[in-house]
Amino acid sequence: MSDKPVTMKCPLCGFEFEKANAVCHHGCPMGRFCKLIRCPSCQYEFPEPSRPLTWLAKLIHPPRPRRPDALDLTGLDAGETAEFVGLAGANESRRHTLSLYGLVPGVHVTLQQKRPAYVVRVGETELALEADIAREILVRRTA
Amino acid sequence: MNERTLILVGNPNVGKSVLFSKLTGKFVVISNYPGTTVEITRGEMQLDGEKFTVIDSPGVNELAPRTEDARVTCDVLRDHPDATVIQVADAKNLRRALLVTHQLAQQQRRVVLVLNMMDELDSCGGHIDVRRLSELLGVPVVPTIATANTGIHLVQRSLKDAAVPRWGRARPPGAPNVADGPAVRPYQDDGLTAINEVLSQTYSHVRPRHASFAQQLGWWATHPVKGLALLAVALSVTFWFVGLFGAGTCVDLLETGVFGRYISPWAIRAVDAVLPFPHEHETEVSDLKLEIPLTPAHGIELWSNEREVLSTNYKSEATGWRRLVHDFFVGPYGVITMALSYGFAIVLPIVTTFFLLFGVLEDSGYLPRLAVMVNRIFRAMGLNGKAVLPMVLGLGCDTMATMTTRILETRKERLITTLLLALAVPCSAQLGVLLAMMTRVSAAAAVFWFVLMVGVLFVIGWLASRIYGGATSDFILELPPMRRPLLGNVLVKTLARLEWYLKEVIPLFVLGTVALFLLDRAHLLDKIARLGEPLVRGWLGLPAQTAEAFLVGFLRRDFGAVYLLDAATGANPLLNAHQVLVAMVTITLFMPCVATLFMISRELGRKTAAWIAVFVFGVAFLVGGIVNHTVVWLGF
Ligand SMILES: Nc1nc2c(ncn2[C@@H]2O[C@H](COP(=O)(O)OP(=O)(O)O)[C@@H](O)[C@H]2O)c(=O)[nH]1
Repeated sequence: MSDKPVTMKCPLCGFEFEKANAVCHHGCPMGRFCKLIRCPSCQYEFPEPSRPLTWLAKLIHPPRPRRPDALDLTGLDAGETAEFVGLAGANESRRHTLSLYGLVPGVHVTLQQKRPAYVVRVGETELALEADIAREILVRRTA
Repeated sequence: MNERTLILVGNPNVGKSVLFSKLTGKFVVISNYPGTTVEITRGEMQLDGEKFTVIDSPGVNELAPRTEDARVTCDVLRDHPDATVIQVADAKNLRRALLVTHQLAQQQRRVVLVLNMMDELDSCGGHIDVRRLSELLGVPVVPTIATANTGIHLVQRSLKDAAVPRWGRARPPGAPNVADGPAVRPYQDDGLTAINEVLSQTYSHVRPRHASFAQQLGWWATHPVKGLALLAVALSVTFWFVGLFGAGTCVDLLETGVFGRYISPWAIRAVDAVLPFPHEHETEVSDLKLEIPLTPAHGIELWSNEREVLSTNYKSEATGWRRLVHDFFVGPYGVITMALSYGFAIVLPIVTTFFLLFGVLEDSGYLPRLAVMVNRIFRAMGLNGKAVLPMVLGLGCDTMATMTTRILETRKERLITTLLLALAVPCSAQLGVLLAMMTRVSAAAAVFWFVLMVGVLFVIGWLASRIYGGATSDFILELPPMRRPLLGNVLVKTLARLEWYLKEVIPLFVLGTVALFLLDRAHLLDKIARLGEPLVRGWLGLPAQTAEAFLVGFLRRDFGAVYLLDAATGANPLLNAHQVLVAMVTITLFMPCVATLFMISRELGRKTAAWIAVFVFGVAFLVGGIVNHTVVWLGF
């Protein structure tokens, strides 16, 4: 297993995310042989950047170290507000339930507490969730 | 004729019922929707001399039949294709309401959109451009505060303008076209983009600097430390109000005061007058105390008084039908002197106080927060926090709670919750009796009883979830805002629950008493006591007479407990402290009552119900016996 999270940036919308969070298209026939990466934000699919090329690019354009924008809810601190990006995970019913409560891409969520369960505020709706669902909720820090 | 039908549709908890009652006034019919237990309410509304039928549908988040509630709402809509829909929205949660509006539009329904709870929208800093919203959707939009009667007339006036909502066509020139930019994500689009657009043009929000007290309270209620403190407060209040005030003061007043001094003697005299036969009733001293209870055994006495009253006991050599009828009504196992006095004087006050408090907790929005607090623990039992609602309701009435297990999503959760309810959650009537028995044992024994019951609950829950396997459903729970409970709402709910309860319970009490009466007549009670002797005396170490208690315990366990209470606290008690403890443990673990058993078999099938019954009685006697032998062995 890779020990360090691989961060990548979507060439289309510029969204930065962890590779582990890339949502694979549900029911992709290629399965794990698929070499395409799907941006969790705009769902654009792009090939994984090849190593030498990135290395070259880094030589010319050394990246500033920064924390990734995209993280899951468990990475936020209590009291922080972030933009909801999408769900990492293919559980349709979960996605559906959450969207009924107003958790759709683009809305701002505020994490109110982490213990004993996660509580997020979406608009004026307060939702209590368990950690394993919180881990699937991808958000982007704003501001 | 259908044109005159109005259907209220909306998300859960948006104030539909309040609006419904403001629109319709008095004549309301509550009925179960055919084939379900979901209740729908119908009423009539007069407007300009015309009569409208108004239907209140169950709250839904979408118009797809995924849950029983939603199925009913969909059916109601389908059955009245021409009816006008009054969509009630919580103004604070406009997005979620628009999701429903969008689906109503797809079904080509004519809609009036009511934005309720405008007061709460204000206090949370939100603002909705009502005119613009109405323009964009092409339907009348009416802001209301249902609880304050604001805007109800406007709802009625706007009915004639109801129209099918339109989407996306009314974009003004110059407004940003959200649908073109890269910001839009191809999330599975159920009108989400269109909704976002409407929202961006009509909804604005300035978060107030300070959270309101209710909001603070809501946060505390789920805080790992403050939440526990609040839980402790809630438990103490419940204990005092139901356990001490309801089961102590009120029961005393009703049982000793009303029944003991007036109704029973009056009934005895009436029966004696109608059916005279030679006999003389004994008298007994009735000691009535009015006190503010502090602990189960102590209180501040306000007033007390002693008086001689007629007792059910009498000596007579007479035989014949007159005596039989006399005993049937007012004998020691009489319908009036036993069944009705148990039902109305002991059970009723306890259950009333419990349902009142439960109504307050329910209306305040505390219960879902309690679910957050206990979720982790319930996980270990293969449940999730949502099961806390039936469990707490079970403290009021296990039968009602068994019916409520329907809100749980998987059969596994329903089965485990039902099992635990049947086994280790005593209903309030029984708790009251148990509390009274507790005054006969030491504090240590009372604590032991409590810990043992909680222990049995968890161990059995844990084992059941291991054995049953399978996944537990997701824990995603909406926390409604904390509100000051409305007295009227709480009273109406309490009355409805009481009515249900009395209809369920009083007949059982009468049935049980009649059975006892017949057994007593046929001199079978002694035989049964002798039959049960090995179990009751040998294994549980209780006097053989208490077999009677377990016998009626089959019917209702609190009935059995009342029996044991008599044996434990009478003038010369039959049971010593150690036996009281064993009796308490055994009767707590008994099946709550036959009504619960019927309900289980209705919910989970006859076979499962039979298994649960066998298991529950087995565990009750097993644990009772173990406690007995352990205590004897330890030499207490
Ligand atoms: N502040 C405020 N509370 C309201 C209003 N309308 C209803 N409520 C409260 O909201 C809660 C839920 O109302 P209810 O009618 O039971 O909702 P339903 O589930 O949609 O039928 C109750 O406690 C009501 O007192 C309103 O306009 N303003």
